[in-house]
Amino acid sequence: MSTAWHSPTTREEVLRLRAELGEDGTLVAGGTFLGVLMNNGILAPEAMISLAHVEGFERIARDGAELRIGAMVTHRRLEFDADIRALCPMIADTFAVVANPRVRNWATIGGVLADADYASDPPAAMIALDARVVLESASGRREVSVEDLIEDVYQTVIEEDEVLTEVIVPLDQSAARYRKFRTRSHEDRPCVSVAAVQASGGLRVAVGAVAGKPQIFHDICALAKGRAMDSGLAREIGTAYAERIDPITDARGSSAYRKRVIAVEVRRALEDLAA
Amino acid sequence: MKIAFELNGTPVEVETDPANMALSVLRGECGITSVRGTCGIGLCGTCTMIVDGKTTASCLMPVGALAGRRVETVDVLNEDDPVIDAFIEANAVQCGFCIPAMVLTVRKLLEDNPKPTDDEIDMALAGNICRCGCYAKIRDAVHLAAAKGNPA
Amino acid sequence: MKDPRITGRQKYVIDAAVEGMLHGRILRSVYPSARITSIDTSMVPEDVVVLTPQDVAGLHHYGCQIADQTVLPQDQVRFVGDPVLAVAAESVAAAEEALLMIDVEYEELPGVFDAVSATAPDAPLVHDRHKISENDAAYFGIRPVDGTNICHRFRLIQGDIEAGFAGADVIVEETFTTAGAAHVSMEPHAALASWDDGRLKMVTGNQTPFNLRGDLATIFGMKPEDIQVICPPMGGSFGAKTFVRIEGIAAALARKADRPVRIILDRAEEFQTLNRHPSTIRVKIGARSDGALLAKEVHCLADTGAYADCGPGVAQKMGFASPGPYRIPHVRVESNSVYTNLPPNGAYRGYGQMQSIWASERTMDLLAGKLGIDPLELRLKNLLREGDAYCTGEVMHDVAFEECLRDAAAAIGYEPGQPGLGVSVLMKGMQTPSFASIRVRAKPGGRYHIDCATVEMGQGSRKALATMAADLLGCAVGDIDIPAPDTDVSPPDTRTTSSRSTHMMGRALEVAVANLKDSDTGEGFGEIRENGGLDPDTGQGIASSHWHQGAAGARVSVDEETGAVTVEHVHAAVYAGRVVVRKQAELQNEGSMIMGYGTAMFESLDILDGAIGNPNLSDYNVPSIADLPKLTHSLIEREGGDVHGLGETALPPVPAAIGNALQSLGLTLRDLPMTPERVLAAVDEATDRTEDAA
Repeated sequence: MSTAWHSPTTREEVLRLRAELGEDGTLVAGGTFLGVLMNNGILAPEAMISLAHVEGFERIARDGAELRIGAMVTHRRLEFDADIRALCPMIADTFAVVANPRVRNWATIGGVLADADYASDPPAAMIALDARVVLESASGRREVSVEDLIEDVYQTVIEEDEVLTEVIVPLDQSAARYRKFRTRSHEDRPCVSVAAVQASGGLRVAVGAVAGKPQIFHDICALAKGRAMDSGLAREIGTAYAERIDPITDARGSSAYRKRVIAVEVRRALEDLAA
Repeated sequence: MKIAFELNGTPVEVETDPANMALSVLRGECGITSVRGTCGIGLCGTCTMIVDGKTTASCLMPVGALAGRRVETVDVLNEDDPVIDAFIEANAVQCGFCIPAMVLTVRKLLEDNPKPTDDEIDMALAGNICRCGCYAKIRDAVHLAAAKGNPA
Repeated sequence: MKDPRITGRQKYVIDAAVEGMLHGRILRSVYPSARITSIDTSMVPEDVVVLTPQDVAGLHHYGCQIADQTVLPQDQVRFVGDPVLAVAAESVAAAEEALLMIDVEYEELPGVFDAVSATAPDAPLVHDRHKISENDAAYFGIRPVDGTNICHRFRLIQGDIEAGFAGADVIVEETFTTAGAAHVSMEPHAALASWDDGRLKMVTGNQTPFNLRGDLATIFGMKPEDIQVICPPMGGSFGAKTFVRIEGIAAALARKADRPVRIILDRAEEFQTLNRHPSTIRVKIGARSDGALLAKEVHCLADTGAYADCGPGVAQKMGFASPGPYRIPHVRVESNSVYTNLPPNGAYRGYGQMQSIWASERTMDLLAGKLGIDPLELRLKNLLREGDAYCTGEVMHDVAFEECLRDAAAAIGYEPGQPGLGVSVLMKGMQTPSFASIRVRAKPGGRYHIDCATVEMGQGSRKALATMAADLLGCAVGDIDIPAPDTDVSPPDTRTTSSRSTHMMGRALEVAVANLKDSDTGEGFGEIRENGGLDPDTGQGIASSHWHQGAAGARVSVDEETGAVTVEHVHAAVYAGRVVVRKQAELQNEGSMIMGYGTAMFESLDILDGAIGNPNLSDYNVPSIADLPKLTHSLIEREGGDVHGLGETALPPVPAAIGNALQSLGLTLRDLPMTPERVLAAVDEATDRTEDAA
């Protein structure tokens, strides 16, 4: 039986289809991750709802002290967009190191956050930036922090009838840095990634690729409250993160090795912030 | 379902399941064998096509997404394209399985950036694997092609 | 028409199609060791052809060196991915759907997943008995050890090893390992089989058309002449497409379907089809305090997986080159090809050399450290030179080890005692004994037609042959046609492996052209035969009619907090004797070095629950253009030198050169790949040593 292909052009149409089709309707954003799942027989959708032609989903706009990024904005645009580079260069730096240009041309910010893959670069960066997502359904709209959005590998709080339509990034950071530590090819996903952001609300450090979801510890970040960042403080926080995290083992490194790298890379990210 | 798109300058319409990947439709229904699948996860680059001016992994794009779009493969290039000549001149080929996708990617790179540096070449081609290891000669070919300029 | 490889018009086996063709897919075992208790295919639609083990029960055992395989396993599967049955349908999708409707039940059996465990006294046996093959590829004395998992044990003995060590002032003993690796040729394995009036036609990507024909003849009980093997250009191979891979299944499916059948593997299946031998190699070396080598003992375990394939040959070559290009009076080598419940391991660019050179050349630097002699100087002091006898007894000729080594050292700015620099040197055997033949025909209009069985997989042998022919015949390269190998037409050739084609076929071509010029039939035939071979119990004889020689140098730096290594420069020096087509030769060096870099730094098949745990290009990385260090190389030529093959020479010395560069920083790496995690462990080890000393 042939798969049904829906190509809505309005937000309302998307939400209606989502409500009607429920779990039988698979959303297609950039399609890059979906393609991997389909090629491996993990997913065989009955119906696909393409978001490619929905009016307004590709918008990037400044809204006061915040940046609003449409779910269908591609990695490639975030990498090069002049406003993004000026307002929050860490976003550009992070999306620029995902996969390859061919994938970045199509992969979207909404897609990568909704997929919630543990080894993707953007989730840790978005959590450190204290970004929120907008989840809309035919019956309402809510905002959820990326920190709360991702529950575990491939698991989010997005309901069956909801669509991630927008990402909102506060622009109050005074310094921000994303570090991707690879153990193999330049093309590899991170063994350990660290996003560190100094913002008006304080320091936020998220460590990616080491557990089911990015790791952030507010109590450890609070050690920086009222203190100037220096190598001693950076080391203290790095060590505390390494002690707190129980990392996974995969082809990119063992748990014990990752623990060592977390201490080093968190410290270096914080030293970069101070520099 | 019927899916209509433009392929290498010609309108085409295929009758297929929209969930089929573009790669299998290009190779099957459309008879384009210069796009080749090897990894199925968008990593190797041999299935590269250009959709609406952007390089794409055809192994990951459901053909339904091509509706109304402009699709190009290496076959769209004139045999006298400076990129093709540059690859020949630099001898940037061994088995050749990955090369048409490299040529297409380089053609696109040079349209965006007519004089790329080595680093820019590497970043543009990092997702195109050549297991024979022609990389050094491919870099040479890109510089040669850049010197030749874009086709008229 | 412009080069079709560049314009995209080149056709490969994946593009081969004939009318009425069906598409084959293979159902594979999900257990590493199990008995098949039942197979239920009752749900499969009638228009899908199913090939079950029962269908092939009457066919014969085959294997290029040990006859340990059947077209489909009978009763027992031996690795995750072992084919259980196959289907053929009108489309790939229909074939894949049919596979989902088949129910196979298994009873699990104990398995063994590394060569060390597999040689333990109580290890489960992967095969009950070892029957040596009658294929031409079983050309040497194969020595299985009955009642064990060892399917071949090669030994090399010179002098009196105990006396040698007794006289040594310094002894170093160390164990090294290398990981399994995947070839990752961009084109997967593909084969198209069809039957016509009892004759089998096989279009396949394969480096060994005549060995394949022989094994297919064995399987089906046919005369070799009733089988036609055609080998179009391949999208890469590197050893992966050798001997019988999927051709037996394709042929049996086509016979049952009475329709042509094409099988193309997917990437995950590639990782289950043929890989490179993981190895564990123990080296003990003794020297006098002045650096003169006295004795060397090497023990190799080469994990050949669930079926021997050419594993015995790999173990033998790993063994006989392991003493290295040095004068050593007392030598003892034992090299074993060992079964495990992993996918088969076979030919891989360099054929066992990388593994033994990693172990041996790393040992040289450890010895240099203990002696307090510079590693380059230690090598130069002991190198084999023109007219020296190797430990097999053969006298070395056209020797260039010193030139290669000095060139590699100079290229990286080697200075004794300067940290971050390392070198290594290698000798690598070529298939011996070996045979090549070729036919040249004059055509109207000054054109020539050449029939030869050298296959094209990107290495450029056919371009080299056309260039040599044009030179000999006084015509343009464009006037020469060399169609793809076809066993119905091409004169026989041993196979396109071990960097032998330009050297062997090139000389056969010279004979054929001379023959053509002498004859009035417009046809010339040439053949070259190199005799030799080793006694498998003593390793004495002619290991290689012609030795490949090379060296590498590397410059590195290390992030001591994470173990991340930056390889700043790698240089390979390869003895070419005489270069035929320079740009092709350069590509061979560059490609080999890049593969060597991947092997050195990160390529590794991870074994998880008895299966390859990373069978995709996200979890198994290969080098990209952005990974490359500065790569330089030399093709060393010499007036009157032989034409030397160079398709593989620059790969094996690269990991050892990088490892030795790390050694110069005080970091001792024993295992490949040299991941940051292992380098960090070496940093810890060095720190502990320093603290102990303090």
